[in-house]
Amino acid sequence: MSETPASPSPANPEKAAPPTELPVGPYGQFLSEHGIPSKRLPDSTGVETIEVEPAQLEVTLKRLRNSEEIALDYLVAVSGVDNTDTFDSVYHLWSYSDPNKELVVKVRIPKASVAAEQLPEVPSVTPFWSAANWHERESYDLVGIRYVGHPYLRRILNPWDWEGYPLRRDYKQPVDSLNDKNPHSFR
Amino acid sequence: MTVSTSTSNKTQSYGVQSTGPANIVEIFKFMRLTIIWLSIIFGAVWGACWLFGVVLPACVEGFGLPAEISQTIRYFVPLVAIMVFIPINAMFMVLFERRALALFTVRKGPNRVGPDGLLQTAADAVKLLLKEDITPRGADAFMFTLAPIIFFAPSIFGCIPLLAAATGDHRLFSIANLPTGIFYVLAASSIPVVALVMAGWASNNKYSLVGGLRAAAQAISYEIPLVLSLVTICLLAGSLDVVEIAQQQVGGFLHWNILGAGKLLAVSQASPITFVTAPLLAICCILLFWLYMTGACAEINRIPFDLPEAESELVSGYNTEYSGIKFAIFFLAEFTNLFVVSAIATVMFLGGGESPIPGFLDTGFFVSVMGTLNSLLQPVPALQWLLNSLVDPATLSCVFWAVTKIYLIVFFAILIRGTLPRFRIDQLMDFSWKRLIPLVLILFLAVAYLRELV
Amino acid sequence: MAVNVGNDQLKTDEMIINMGPQHPATHGVLRLLLTLDGEMVRNVEPVIGHLHRAQEWQGQNRTWFQYQALIDRVDYLSGMFTSWALARAAEHIEGIKISPRAEYLRVMVSEMNRITSHLLWLGTYLIDLGAMFGFPFYPFREREKLLDLLEAVAGQRMMFNYIRIGGVQCNPPLGWFDKLKRFTEEFPDRVDEYEAIVTENPIFLKRTKGIGRLSKSVAMDYGVTGPTLRASGVNLDLRRTKPYSVYDQLKFEVPVLEGDGDTWARYTCRIREMRESNKIIKQCIEKIPGGTTEEIRKLGDEANKDENLKLMAKKQNSGLRVKAGEGFAAVESPRGTLGCYIISNGSDKAYRFKWRNPSFSNLSVLPELLVGHPIADIMAIFGSIDVILPDVDR
Repeated sequence: MSETPASPSPANPEKAAPPTELPVGPYGQFLSEHGIPSKRLPDSTGVETIEVEPAQLEVTLKRLRNSEEIALDYLVAVSGVDNTDTFDSVYHLWSYSDPNKELVVKVRIPKASVAAEQLPEVPSVTPFWSAANWHERESYDLVGIRYVGHPYLRRILNPWDWEGYPLRRDYKQPVDSLNDKNPHSFR
Repeated sequence: MTVSTSTSNKTQSYGVQSTGPANIVEIFKFMRLTIIWLSIIFGAVWGACWLFGVVLPACVEGFGLPAEISQTIRYFVPLVAIMVFIPINAMFMVLFERRALALFTVRKGPNRVGPDGLLQTAADAVKLLLKEDITPRGADAFMFTLAPIIFFAPSIFGCIPLLAAATGDHRLFSIANLPTGIFYVLAASSIPVVALVMAGWASNNKYSLVGGLRAAAQAISYEIPLVLSLVTICLLAGSLDVVEIAQQQVGGFLHWNILGAGKLLAVSQASPITFVTAPLLAICCILLFWLYMTGACAEINRIPFDLPEAESELVSGYNTEYSGIKFAIFFLAEFTNLFVVSAIATVMFLGGGESPIPGFLDTGFFVSVMGTLNSLLQPVPALQWLLNSLVDPATLSCVFWAVTKIYLIVFFAILIRGTLPRFRIDQLMDFSWKRLIPLVLILFLAVAYLRELV
Repeated sequence: MAVNVGNDQLKTDEMIINMGPQHPATHGVLRLLLTLDGEMVRNVEPVIGHLHRAQEWQGQNRTWFQYQALIDRVDYLSGMFTSWALARAAEHIEGIKISPRAEYLRVMVSEMNRITSHLLWLGTYLIDLGAMFGFPFYPFREREKLLDLLEAVAGQRMMFNYIRIGGVQCNPPLGWFDKLKRFTEEFPDRVDEYEAIVTENPIFLKRTKGIGRLSKSVAMDYGVTGPTLRASGVNLDLRRTKPYSVYDQLKFEVPVLEGDGDTWARYTCRIREMRESNKIIKQCIEKIPGGTTEEIRKLGDEANKDENLKLMAKKQNSGLRVKAGEGFAAVESPRGTLGCYIISNGSDKAYRFKWRNPSFSNLSVLPELLVGHPIADIMAIFGSIDVILPDVDR
């Protein structure tokens, strides 16, 4: 993260930004010029953050990556987040050529729209961006977001037969490993 | 946090220590350890040979039994010498190697068991022998057990002719000499590869299998330059008899085969061509020695040719599944093989038991020392008899130089081990078939012509 | 095995070998599912997670103060960098400014840590290449010295917990700067020594030149970072391209090699980086505000009042809180971009941690590199991308 952020922003975005409409940032502007709708979210400490619809994700990332002027061609990380009322898939985009370009793209799936026993579904970017491959697997493994179109969506950090998604808020540990009374305890 | 509290007043023992020539102490310890161990080994072997060669026959004859029996006992001397020698020697060589590698890498090496780590490998051997002998499930138990035996046996019976050469054809050992000695040694040394394939196949492990197959490929490839270089030396010497080859090199290092078997001295004004051919022959022989060492390193699977047991690729290759006494036998045989190939190099290239400079610690010197000791022990006839029956000065000088040369070559092999990374298998094959074998064939022809022209 | 008579080729079956997790050369517990055709690798599937310690879960269930001490374990060879990434991300959210002296100390200790990490890599890489007993030990000689110095300043040899949210823990002890200076003076000679043994070694060149080529486009596609990326010709070093801390005030070069990065290029890149790190430490010793610890001691109480010399901008106790908000910060670790994504809700625990570990991304490119090489090259290539398994598995 650079010491000189791309767009100046208040030190504390959560407090400073009321839930009203935020002004469209430069990247949002660029996307809307190319016919991709996006919604500005409170900045992630000085970095423009936008939300796109799941269906638009592939087009958005391809456009941001391949266009000459933007060239956000460095996918730093894909993170799955279990927020209070949504499942987020967060894409941190940097540029190899210009160190000052940064963007956070979020895809938010409302928890209400996810049926019971179903996983939230986000289109996978792995087919055109290999950097996302293991990060998406990790996100699937730990947060339980199904990346539709991923070539090999399989648990990566946990054992292949693990049950549940450990980084979810409602996750219960199957075995309390530190409890002596538990017969399956590791102690 | 404030500054005054944050600076902990630690003792000043951390940080950069000066790196001086502190290794001299380690080198001294290493030399001391080598001398102690060598005296132990050769004291034991010498004692055993004396017992079987002198004392027992004398007792037998003293009881009035026929002379055939005492003669039969004498025939056992080479065998006894080797049986006593090999285990102790392998123990020493492991320690020698570990300490030498520690020297090269600014470490101390094993220095805890016994005085200054002298007994480290003895302790290791005991531990290995006491371990449970495991045969993995699915392994072919018979072959699995047979493999270490077949691997070890040739290194015992293969080196017997060399004994005669290393002891200067002593009367107790001349029975071990063969007219085609080097041929026999080479034949014996090509057997172990069968054992490696057996071990790899019988282990029921894919790494072992790959290791065993690699061992076969490698041994076949490197046997050719190895054998051809020795054959060339035999051509130069005109003999297959190791004792004879060793005795031809008497008279200082210029007579050694590595420098063209004394042909450098034959340079004369009478035939000016010898000014070219004699140095050429010497260069050819030095190259042959290098070829022999390369082939030998590959034969006995040492770095940089340790592909059959490449640790970073194949875990441990053919001996992955071995433990306990079977592994100990593999280990023993590997180090014995190193000793054997060094002994071959000594006999074939470096003049066997001859002193490199005539007059320097040679037979005459040992004879004069014996004479002095004899005159000192004049008043005690029993001790004088003991000394004379125990020590033969000519053999002592021969063994002294042979052992010195052999361990120098072993040290050299350890130095290589401490310096080079490992080849890749295809590069290894290329190196043998595309470089070494053509080179050794050229050298063979060159030596064949040059020996006539000098 | 069936001999195909019409086409005089021997038909062979493929063999599947499980390399690891218990294998002497997999740097811990990586498991590679290899499909071999003879000795050639046809397919690779890295199976990771054997060292998974749920670091992110731990972060969300421990207080900030507790987690600070835990995070060094993620990449045990460069603990300073994980601490630093966490501290930077939290400081970003908080908006804290760190005093110059603390920043310089951070740069110094982490560059020392970078050298130790590269030295260990050098030693183990040579072991991977089969040089089992020779030079692998030489790098460890220098590494010991640096670890002694790091121990003196942080109290621990590997799990430092020295860089904290808001600054650094303490000033180095007396005499530390002199010893470090002496080290920096002799270190270039030592690197020359390694190079003298290794760089021109014909077997080493044969094993590394042209092996495991990683083209620029593939590296960028997989998000490979660090020396592995720079050896492929991409100039991405956060210290230079996105200068953080005081790196913009220091003079150093970022070694970027042209052409498809083979294992030899990666080796060269790391060797050069060690020299550059050494230069950085040298400059820091000269430039650090307040000078050595002895000089700080002389200042006495004045040092406590000077804003430039204050080491800690935040109280270090169990009540440590970070403001609500989300932030991402990255540092250039010895293995590449080490990022930390934090979502805080202002309580004593973080809401979400996400670590962007360089080893994780670098390892994902491994199948691309290995297919088509013989098994002997697996370790030569795998070693050259310098992966630390705890860093992959977290």
